[in-house]
Amino acid sequence: MRTKSENAIAFNESFKKRSNRQHMLSFAVCTHCGVCNDSCHYFLATDDPKMTPVAKMDKLRQVYKSQKGPLGKLAPRWVGAKEMETDEDLKELQDIVFGSCTGCRRCTFNCPFGVDTASLVGLARSCLVDLGYAPEGIKAVMKNQWETGNQMGISKEEYLDTLQWIQEELQEEFSDPDFIVPIDKKGADFVYVINPREVKYDPRPLQAAFKIFHHAGLDWTMGSEGWDNTNFGLFSGKADLGGHMGNLAYNQAKKLEVKRMVISECGHGFRSTKWEAPNWGKANPLPFEMVSLLELMVDLINTGKIVLDPSKNPYPVTYHDPCNLSRSCGITEEPRFCLKRACVDFRELMPNRGDSFCCTGGGGAMSMVEYAPRRLEVARVKADQIRKAGAAVVATSCHNCVDGLRDVIKNYNLRYDYRDAKAPKLLRVCNVCELVAEAMIIPVEIQKTAIKASKDAVRGKKILVIDDEPDIIVFIETLLTDNGFKVITANDGITGLQKAKAEQPDLITLDITMPGKSGIQLFRELRSTAETANIPVFIVTGTIDFRQLMYQKAIPAPDGFMMKPIDPKVLLTTVNKILEKAARNSTVVN
Amino acid sequence: MDYIVWQNISPLTKLVMNQLHYLGLLFMISVYAYRIHQIFQFPAAKEGTPPKGDQRQAIRYSYLTLAMPWEIESQKRHMYRYIEFVIFHIAMAVSILFTWTLPMAHEFMKNPVIIGFSEFFFVLGFLTGTSRLARRLYSPAMREISSFDDYFSLILLTLWMLFGILAAPLKSEPFLFGFYCFATFLHFYVPFSKIMHYLYWPFIRYYMGKHFGHRGTYPKKGSMPSLK
Repeated sequence: MRTKSENAIAFNESFKKRSNRQHMLSFAVCTHCGVCNDSCHYFLATDDPKMTPVAKMDKLRQVYKSQKGPLGKLAPRWVGAKEMETDEDLKELQDIVFGSCTGCRRCTFNCPFGVDTASLVGLARSCLVDLGYAPEGIKAVMKNQWETGNQMGISKEEYLDTLQWIQEELQEEFSDPDFIVPIDKKGADFVYVINPREVKYDPRPLQAAFKIFHHAGLDWTMGSEGWDNTNFGLFSGKADLGGHMGNLAYNQAKKLEVKRMVISECGHGFRSTKWEAPNWGKANPLPFEMVSLLELMVDLINTGKIVLDPSKNPYPVTYHDPCNLSRSCGITEEPRFCLKRACVDFRELMPNRGDSFCCTGGGGAMSMVEYAPRRLEVARVKADQIRKAGAAVVATSCHNCVDGLRDVIKNYNLRYDYRDAKAPKLLRVCNVCELVAEAMIIPVEIQKTAIKASKDAVRGKKILVIDDEPDIIVFIETLLTDNGFKVITANDGITGLQKAKAEQPDLITLDITMPGKSGIQLFRELRSTAETANIPVFIVTGTIDFRQLMYQKAIPAPDGFMMKPIDPKVLLTTVNKILEKAARNSTVVN
Repeated sequence: MDYIVWQNISPLTKLVMNQLHYLGLLFMISVYAYRIHQIFQFPAAKEGTPPKGDQRQAIRYSYLTLAMPWEIESQKRHMYRYIEFVIFHIAMAVSILFTWTLPMAHEFMKNPVIIGFSEFFFVLGFLTGTSRLARRLYSPAMREISSFDDYFSLILLTLWMLFGILAAPLKSEPFLFGFYCFATFLHFYVPFSKIMHYLYWPFIRYYMGKHFGHRGTYPKKGSMPSLK
């Protein structure tokens, strides 16, 4: 008899201890009927027999059959029973449960029995993670959440700084000094919990939500702690981490004595915070209600607290149902209610709601860069769905979906012929609250001013643009110059370093993929050279591998990051944010 | 050809039709009882949050979806397979009914209408079993997921149907003997095979309905919005 490896033995033991009744039934009931095959985008896109839900889960099911199945010990080959035996078995299982399943549960809803593949994947992940068999991105984010309380390791200072910056932006936009972002306001009606991505990389959904709250006259607050609604307990299968993250948010809400917690548009974040973490963290019963921002917006529209003008969103909009919201939380009508009132032309993806296909970014996939090629290959199914809808904008209520869909749209070159563009542009992807905020009719007494290119503190600042693509340089240079900045450029890493030392810019925008000295090498050099160490760096790249480097902290954290193709609004917002923060910090120091 | 004279049936055939058959049933029930006990040895995942939806309605819905092919995409898209599934399982139910009714009411079973009814479902069972086997052998995706038990169970049931076709007219003792050998063997084999899935089905559908009903996902929302 072959000797099992120590890891395999540990896995088998762990598996036996953690299997619950629902797992057992999912293992035992499967008849290999194959009905689930074409509900899985991995199989549909590849036609690979090893990518069907049954084939994938059989790797785990054979462990159950070996341990508990009727013929598992007597005739294992007859029924396909086999425990994990080698480290290679574990690596193969890791590839399956992390790299070949997003836990979207589409197969479960199409299974005549209801085999819950996602929960089996969660079981396997939890056993593997304990043995170190997990993608580096997952491990890195788990570490961040344990150590800092949020998935991106954002410091309290940076978080509060961002909120203050947003407050100032909105005060200026609406010429309203009373536009306050409350922090730790005790006794408020609700506390708003968010995805760290909104703080670190794209504050527009956060700005949109704040606009809605302010103009609706709501009594709300942000928490200085426990503000992260994301939860890698779900993606790692680790209930202890899941409970920890949930309890951080719940404790803050209890401390603030709020009546409700409103959860921003994050699919797994909403599901984890509202449904899973109270069980994981043994937090029930909670003294406050938890609702989605979508549900709040429906209420605000219904009660007339916000009034929408759909003509402000003239392009056709479709809605991608996040798997966690639609299949695991039953939230499908709320976003449609909002979008039909915020846009003139809303059209459905087919299929939709509980039958919608995964964006391919779920289950933690966006932090697992090693599986990106496969993810993009199987995204063909989603791309076809979006293409057929013929929309210009894809709205969704999940940040992983936003990133996942942007990758899909870019990879499959899905474009729309916008009236005000010279050539068809890639489809826009955004949260529902952004479209609602854009459609909001602001009361007439608030005079809306044009967004200033930069505040006085940052007007005329010098920005060094480093990119090897001439078109990108021209685009960024034109955009920044038109908005009052002074721009110098470099088209390779060596020249970039020379100019950074010589010109001492206030900010550097940096491409990653360049010939010769790469952006990563240059970034490390800038940080390790005394003359340039304190110059803020804003990474602008088309390479998705960069996310992994950031999650793993293999490089110093940049001051900003965005993916190409460049969204001018995001670029300008981030440039302003970084420069204003730097200006504020230098005022404090002086 | 005349009907079998019941008094002239060989002792071996009678043994298989009666004592062994009942022994097989007793064995199957015992193993099923153990299997149900085994289910409850596993702790159930508990839900402590306040429910959003109606769990009872969701559990009812969960059980009924099998009879509502329009509710499940895989059933809608593959209506042939759904009809095949329904026919196959009805044929199995009719076969089981046949095996237990015949020893107790053999004169009644000689009625041409009863014979015709039984033959009809044995033929359908045989055809659907063969169709399923063909698909399992032909499709690469199905071959990938098929174990020896998957093939053997299907071959067993399909051959049982074939013997049923031959035995149902009640004019040949050898075919009747063969039919009951299969039936008896199934009682001893089913508790160790995937055919036992019907024992687990009520439990897993219950938990599925409870879980998704709690979250407000079940029953599935239709295509029309439920909000104003």
